[in-house]
Parts: sequence; C-alpha cells; structure tokens
Amino acid sequence: MSQALDRGRAVVRRPDVPLRSLLPLGLFFLLALVFPFLPLGERAEYLLQIAFFTLVAGVLALSWDILARSGQVSLAHAAFYGLGAYGFALLSKVMPWFLAMPVAALIAGLISLILGAVTMRLSGMYFAIATLAFTEVVRTIIQNLPEATAGGANGLLVPALLGGNARAQYFLAFGILLFTALVSLAIRRSRLHHAFAAIRQGEETARVLGVSVVKYKLLAFFISSFLAALGGVLYAGKTFFINPLETFSLANSIAPLTTSIFGGLYTTLGPILGATVLRVAEEILHAYIKNGYLVVYGLVLMLSILWLPRGLMGLFKRGKHGGDV
Amino acid sequence: MKKMLLTGVLLALSGAGAVKVGALLPLSGAGSVSGQAARNGYLLALEEINKAGGVLGRPLELEFADDGSSPAKAVPEFVKLVTVEKVDFMVGGVSSATSIAISGPAKQYNTFMAWIGAAAVPVEDAFADHKYFFHYHPWSYYNFEAILDYFKHLRVTKKARNIAIAYEDGPFGSAGIGDTVAAFKKAGFNVVMTEKFKTGSGNFGPIVSKAKAARPDIFYWVGYDTDALPLATEIKQQNLNVGLIYGTPPSWPVGFEKNRLADNVAGLSLWLPTSPNAQSRAFVNAYRKKFGNVTEEYFAPLAYVNLKTLAAAINKAGSTDKDKVAAALAATNTQTPFGPLTFTKSNKTRYQGFKAGSWLSFQYLGDDRAPVYPLKFAKKTTVWGK
Repeated sequence: MSQALDRGRAVVRRPDVPLRSLLPLGLFFLLALVFPFLPLGERAEYLLQIAFFTLVAGVLALSWDILARSGQVSLAHAAFYGLGAYGFALLSKVMPWFLAMPVAALIAGLISLILGAVTMRLSGMYFAIATLAFTEVVRTIIQNLPEATAGGANGLLVPALLGGNARAQYFLAFGILLFTALVSLAIRRSRLHHAFAAIRQGEETARVLGVSVVKYKLLAFFISSFLAALGGVLYAGKTFFINPLETFSLANSIAPLTTSIFGGLYTTLGPILGATVLRVAEEILHAYIKNGYLVVYGLVLMLSILWLPRGLMGLFKRGKHGGDV
Repeated sequence: MKKMLLTGVLLALSGAGAVKVGALLPLSGAGSVSGQAARNGYLLALEEINKAGGVLGRPLELEFADDGSSPAKAVPEFVKLVTVEKVDFMVGGVSSATSIAISGPAKQYNTFMAWIGAAAVPVEDAFADHKYFFHYHPWSYYNFEAILDYFKHLRVTKKARNIAIAYEDGPFGSAGIGDTVAAFKKAGFNVVMTEKFKTGSGNFGPIVSKAKAARPDIFYWVGYDTDALPLATEIKQQNLNVGLIYGTPPSWPVGFEKNRLADNVAGLSLWLPTSPNAQSRAFVNAYRKKFGNVTEEYFAPLAYVNLKTLAAAINKAGSTDKDKVAAALAATNTQTPFGPLTFTKSNKTRYQGFKAGSWLSFQYLGDDRAPVYPLKFAKKTTVWGK
C-alpha cells in the first residue's frame, strides 16, 4: 500500500465513488440552488439569511471533517476561520474582493502548515490542547497588532460582500460550499483517501506501510484551513464587522466538530446535512421555546449522538464501494 | 384609574391595528445579563404605555427577538422582525458586534432604530449616515471622559498624580488602552504602571506587588466583576497604600457591598437604584411592584426610558411616519432616571442621547454604593485612602 500511495500508481486503484451514492448530495445542492426562487412568501428574506449562515456552517463543518479524516481532531478551526476573516478585511483594502478572498484563504492555509509542523508528534488530547492554544495565540497576536491596522481589541469594519446584496451573497456561499464538497469528493476519489484513513487508523502502521505521514498530515491541514478561511471570509463580509473575541471564539472550533459528528464523520454529505439539520432545528426550537431553547437543543444533540453513533449518515445504507458519500 | 385600566385591557385585547415595535436583545449568550435586564425594563414600560391608552389610540405591541449575543444570529433575527413581523420601529441593541452586523439590513430596509447599547466607536461609524438611528447609551469615549473628569477633580482635591492601570487582556479591557494612557498623560497624570491580566485567573499577586513599588495615588482597573474580589483581596493582603481603587466592570459581583473588602472601592455607573431623583424613585417603585425586587442593572431603566420616549414621540408625531416620529423624538426633552434626556449630535451620529455628564462615579461606603461625583449628584465625599 505504501509504495502504491507514494510511488506506484498501478497497485492501488482509486477508491470508487458510485454515481448512485452521489444522488443525495446532488439533491441537496439542487435544493440549495433553487431555494431563493421558492415561493416562501414574506419569510423569504429572513429564510435567506438563515440559509446563508447554514451554508457557512456547512463549509466550516466539512472543512473540519477533511482534517479529521487524517486522524487530527483539531480545536484550531476558529483560528483559520478568523484568519480568513481578518485576512479578507485587511486585503480588501488593497485589492478587489474576489482576489482578497482566495489570497486570505491561502495565507491561512500556509499558516496552518506551521501548526501542522509543530503538532506533528502530538495526538489525542495533547494535539487538541495544542490546537486550542494555537487559536489563543493567533487571537492574542491579532488583538495586539496596531489598532490602526487590525482594529486591536475594538474590532474592524469589513466591506460588505457583493455590496450587501443578500441573494448574491447567498449564491457566493453556495458556490463556496459546492467547491468545498467537490474538494471533499476529489479527496475521496484520490489516493489521499487511503493515506488519510491509514494515518487515522494508526500512524506507525501507516509509516511502516510507507505512507509519508508528515506530508499527508500537512496536506490535510492546508486543505482544511484554506476552506475554513473561506468560511471566515463569508462571515466577515456578511456581518460587516469582526473582533478577536467573536471571530476566534471557541464556539467556532466546537461547532464544526459537533456538526460533523452529528451529521456523520468522514463523509461529504454528513457534515453538510448536520449543519443544515442543526441550524434548522435551532431556529424551530427557538421559535417555539422562547426561554431555555438552548437546553432542549443541547439535549436533542446529546441524545442524537448517543443513538446515532455514526451520525445522520448512519441512517443511510452504506455504499458498496466508496463508503458513505 | 379604573378607566385607565379598562382602556389598557381593551387595547390589549384588540391586537388588530397595534403599533409594532421589535426589540432585538441578547436574551442568551455573553450579554444576556444586560439583555434580560433590558427586557424587564421594556415590559414595565409596555405595561404603563398600554395602561395609559397605548399610542395613537392603538395598543403598543412588543416583539422580542434573541440575538444570542452573536452577529450570525442577529442578522436573521433582525430581518425577521422587519420583514416577517413587520415592526414599525426597532429598539434594543446591547452588543456592539451584533449592532454592526445588522447595520447593513438596517440601511437596506431604512429601519427606524432607537438603540440603547452598543457603545463601541465602530458602531458610531457604521450608523454615521443612518438618518433614523437614535443612540441612547453614551459612546465609549464619553465613559472615559467622565472618569477623566473625576480624576482631574481628585488631582485638585487630593493631590492625585500617579495612576497605575491594570486591564484585562480581552477586548473590553484592551480596547483603546493606548488612548487611555495618552489621555491620562495629556491631562497631567503620571502613568506609573500599565499591566494586563487575564480575566478570571484570580492571580493579582504580581500586579499588586508591582503597583506597590510604583506607589500610585489611583489604582485604575478595567476588567469584569469576577476580578473584583480577588483583586480587592490581594490589595488588602499586600497592604497597598493607595488613595483610590477605581474599577469599571460592566456589572459588580452580587453582594459585593456586604463584603468589607469592597469598602471605599469606587466605580462608574449610569444609574444607581438609590439615585434620589423623582423619576428614578418612580422607576424603582414600579419595578418592585411588577417584578418583586429591585434591579441594579442600568439596562433596565435605560430600556424603560427608551420605549417610553419612543411611544411619546409616536403620539406627538400623530402617526407612525418615520420622518415625523424622528422629528418628534429628536425634540425630546424630558426627565429620566438618568437625568434629563435630549438628543444632540455626537462625533459622527445625528441623534445622541446620554453623554459623559450622565455617568456617576460611586464608592462602596458601608453597605451601599454612594454617588461621589459629579459633585451635584454626590451624596457623600470621596473617601481617600492615603
């Protein structure tokens, strides 16, 4: 396997992802695409805002899941989300937004390589704590940059994405989630899938098999952080304002984790589905239980995870070849 | 009285034709203490307004929405109030981040906003060109102006010269700390120590030790209520010889006044339940009657004043036309628990309510908080520790 992964392309074939298994994912994106055109009446604009943040939550969850596939349970996602947001806010002062967006994500991706390299030898809770500390370090640095540059602890006003047009912003978020899903599928169809799975199941074994653990772990970090940063860009451009406390909050690291587990780990549809169901559930609970809805929400989440150890994706039949998509 | 009550009941029963006001508040999350306090203030005001005949002969209806102290939640909630609930006016707004996040939709829908919180300057920037934005709470620079004014008074009366600053390393403590130091220096003070700390760590030993060596006249700390007791304990243990300990947490620990360590500690508040003015007494009595207790949170009376003045402006305007109501609200000149309320320009926004002069400096004396500055509101003289 090792030779196959890193040198010999002929021995291990690419993992198959049967087209049939892509249907639910395709259906989701089709629904998301036509959503703004549905006759939603007076609730249309409100639902469009909810849908926007749901798409962002999907990007964040799926990007986290891609890293988790290599066995790295990170609590640094808020750092990359925040770096994307801050990168975009600062870069959009000197370049057009459509350039600022990928450049900000690229910078976050490159910074993630530092974290990846530093935490290379850590695993389990030690790795999680190190990534959590990394988020705190990034937050502190941003907060202590000159106020004129990064707003300091006060925060920073951000130019509205696409002139603040809610529908255009929605389609941008849709596009980025679609891109994230395509990256996820591409990974599943490539040898990376086997490499990540091998590392996750045991680094030593993977190493013995010849998998370049360092290379693949760093690659997972880069891809995941790049995508998370794109989520941060969307958030910043939508809310017009970022500050260190909100942007680098622990909640932004925990949410993608719980969402992915709830939806179904190591899949493409699972984290997206998890984000959608949880966000919608939160809104519904909020509407009917004004006080204490978060308690009910937490209980529902807890019980769901207990009863569905493989998440929502566990409800679907496993694919015969490529596993769950 | 019976007639008024009957009017109120009839108005409440006839939901049709109500004037709808949306209240966006942090009812959950980090800002929920202020948000819940504000909610009570609104409920009290709503009851009084509808008992007195509502607005324009119609009932006033409040639709609360929880922004969860999060910008990502505030945006959909705001849009829902405006587009689904079709509120005529918006009140509320505690957090700066959520207020900025809704500035886009607010401008898009040209929403009328009578805002009670969000003191950070970026909010002022975000709403600078919004013609229906009425801001009640003083901007952050007014807060500091009030503190500086008090310290200048202490320089004259107590020969205070040296200030030691301890500030928490989060946005609350760190924001504008450079400007704070510069302003103290410009005012002729020596800033003999500037140290940051982590809120909740409880470890003030090194900071107090350093302050002791710096021999300050005023120990000025910017942090949260959780820091108050450990800091006061450390100061007592190390026997820091200081004229005044002055803190600016958003709220103080419950029952802090009963603790002897609180003696002489000073702070800033927009309102105290012990404020002697008639409006404050009336608010405290009405609040106690409705909720069975007395609030220490100034967001309760602030929200109360907010809705009462908006309702008065709608009545004065004779319609819900935004321009007419804005003109009527802009002409507000009324007494409140915080003192007189009028709207004048701030640095950037058109309608600013309370300013630096509305803040009170108080000192924990005995089992109470006594206003000590400005002198016209002072009930006691500052107790100076040196």
